[in-house]
Amino acid sequence: MNAAVATSVFGVFMVATVALGLLAVRGRRGGGGLAEWSVGGRSLGTVFIWVLMAGEGYTSFSYLGAAGWGYNYGAPVLYVVAYMSCGYAVGYVVGPMLWAYARKHGLVGITDMVAHRFGRPWLGALVAVLATVFLLPYIQLQITGMGVVVSTISYGAISLNWAYFIAFAVTTGFVVVSGLRGSAWVSVLKDLLVIVTLGFLAIYVPVHYFDGYGPFLDRLVTEKSEWLTFPGHGDSGLGQAWFITTSFLNSLTVVIFPTTVAGYLGARNADVLRRNAMWLPAYNVLLFVPMLLGMAALFVVPGLVGAESNLALFKLVTDSLPAWSVGIIGVAAALSSIVPMAVFMLVIGTMWGRSVLSLVPRWERRQKGAAQLVVVVAGSLALLLTYTAPNTLVRLSLISYEGMAQLLPMVLLGLMWRRLTLLGAMSGLVVGVGVVCGFVFMENDPVWGVNAGIVALAANLAVALVVTYAGPRERDERPDDEVLARDEWEADREVVNVR
Amino acid sequence: MLRRRPQLLWLLVPYVLYLGALPFVNRVRPVVLGLPFLFFWLLGATVLTPVAVWLTRRGDRR
Repeated sequence: MNAAVATSVFGVFMVATVALGLLAVRGRRGGGGLAEWSVGGRSLGTVFIWVLMAGEGYTSFSYLGAAGWGYNYGAPVLYVVAYMSCGYAVGYVVGPMLWAYARKHGLVGITDMVAHRFGRPWLGALVAVLATVFLLPYIQLQITGMGVVVSTISYGAISLNWAYFIAFAVTTGFVVVSGLRGSAWVSVLKDLLVIVTLGFLAIYVPVHYFDGYGPFLDRLVTEKSEWLTFPGHGDSGLGQAWFITTSFLNSLTVVIFPTTVAGYLGARNADVLRRNAMWLPAYNVLLFVPMLLGMAALFVVPGLVGAESNLALFKLVTDSLPAWSVGIIGVAAALSSIVPMAVFMLVIGTMWGRSVLSLVPRWERRQKGAAQLVVVVAGSLALLLTYTAPNTLVRLSLISYEGMAQLLPMVLLGLMWRRLTLLGAMSGLVVGVGVVCGFVFMENDPVWGVNAGIVALAANLAVALVVTYAGPRERDERPDDEVLARDEWEADREVVNVR
Repeated sequence: MLRRRPQLLWLLVPYVLYLGALPFVNRVRPVVLGLPFLFFWLLGATVLTPVAVWLTRRGDRR
């Protein structure tokens, strides 16, 4: 009975989601094309960009993974809040810079930007492949997260494996029909639900289980103080040095993360992004809720181990609330998977359509269709990984970020510093990716107490600089203005003056 | 960039609050508003980050 109620609430909302996605793109058919599908025709305003980017940042990982890590380790999970806040601040500078660069040269993503900067189309293809590889764990993360939700709200009637498949099917279908504009619309629905449900849980759980916040926090402080400082509970190896290096690395990586850049490029103008950089960090306050709830679960459902900890939050919910509200909370969590996953897939499709498939003349005409095909393939791969190589949610997101971080010198430094040569950037990238893979696959992350990605990035940067200075100078006739991203504030002023 | 826009230095505020100050705030007590000190501090940093970005923007708009 419970399962039927919760599952029907959930099903109704899923159908509504896809309908909303379709509605968003209705009437914009004819002029469609890759740019409309992928960056919303560059016409989204402050509010849409805000919800979209907040939506991307606030994934099922934040909903479930944060609670899970809060449950397992405690304080280390706060790195999420730290890197997102710092990243938004950096985005204040970088976002408008990338936006202006893409706008000026008609580009739709970081792969294009790199290809344009170094004047080599194949480089864009290479970066696209690499970025796809590092996005797959993130998609897998969302599939896992949503699968957990679907299975839990059906009270186990739908097995995890089927739930993963449903997650994949709903999202892939959604993204193929709706594109970035549809995702932004659904983001609005999702944000409302997330804010309402988390706000409710934040009050309900402590009152229901602990007679209010005071007693809850008191018990936390007296009984679980190990969770409340670094390095957190258990033998995590996640001390202060890990927290600082991870937050630092991720805060830089997040600004060039292909999905973030998709959000940037969807903006109507650069000032939309600056206003957003100001408002987005406020959303992070919400992240404290699942973390605290995860720790509340320590008292209520003790003894979850490993990947089971992802369920910490939902165990609380199903334990104490009626079925229909379980359904609603499930919808909020599922949309927290669908929106980011849709954006991730969209970005993969765009990168391939623009940078890989365009190299094959035969495919060029059918860029959008081909891009959509790539989306389905990438989604299937991620689904396959979910079955064959499951992992806890946080670990997956870390791998993604550590890999993507290796693109920093090539993308960000490259756009600001003319002297950086292709050979230098490439050598650095190869070394960086090699080091990350080495550490991750030999399960040496964190290494010496710090984030393995930052060690790799240091090696990456060092190699890039040495090869640039020691190697041959590059000959490129184009003026700096054509190649580098400018301090966007001045560029902006000029545009205003011209008008 | 920095010489023309010194206000960008405000953007370092979240880094100082979250990362730089960490060794000094990694403690449970004193408990503030019921929150363990570390959590209170990071919550404060989260609230102050928009202020820092706002200050940058204010400098830019001059």
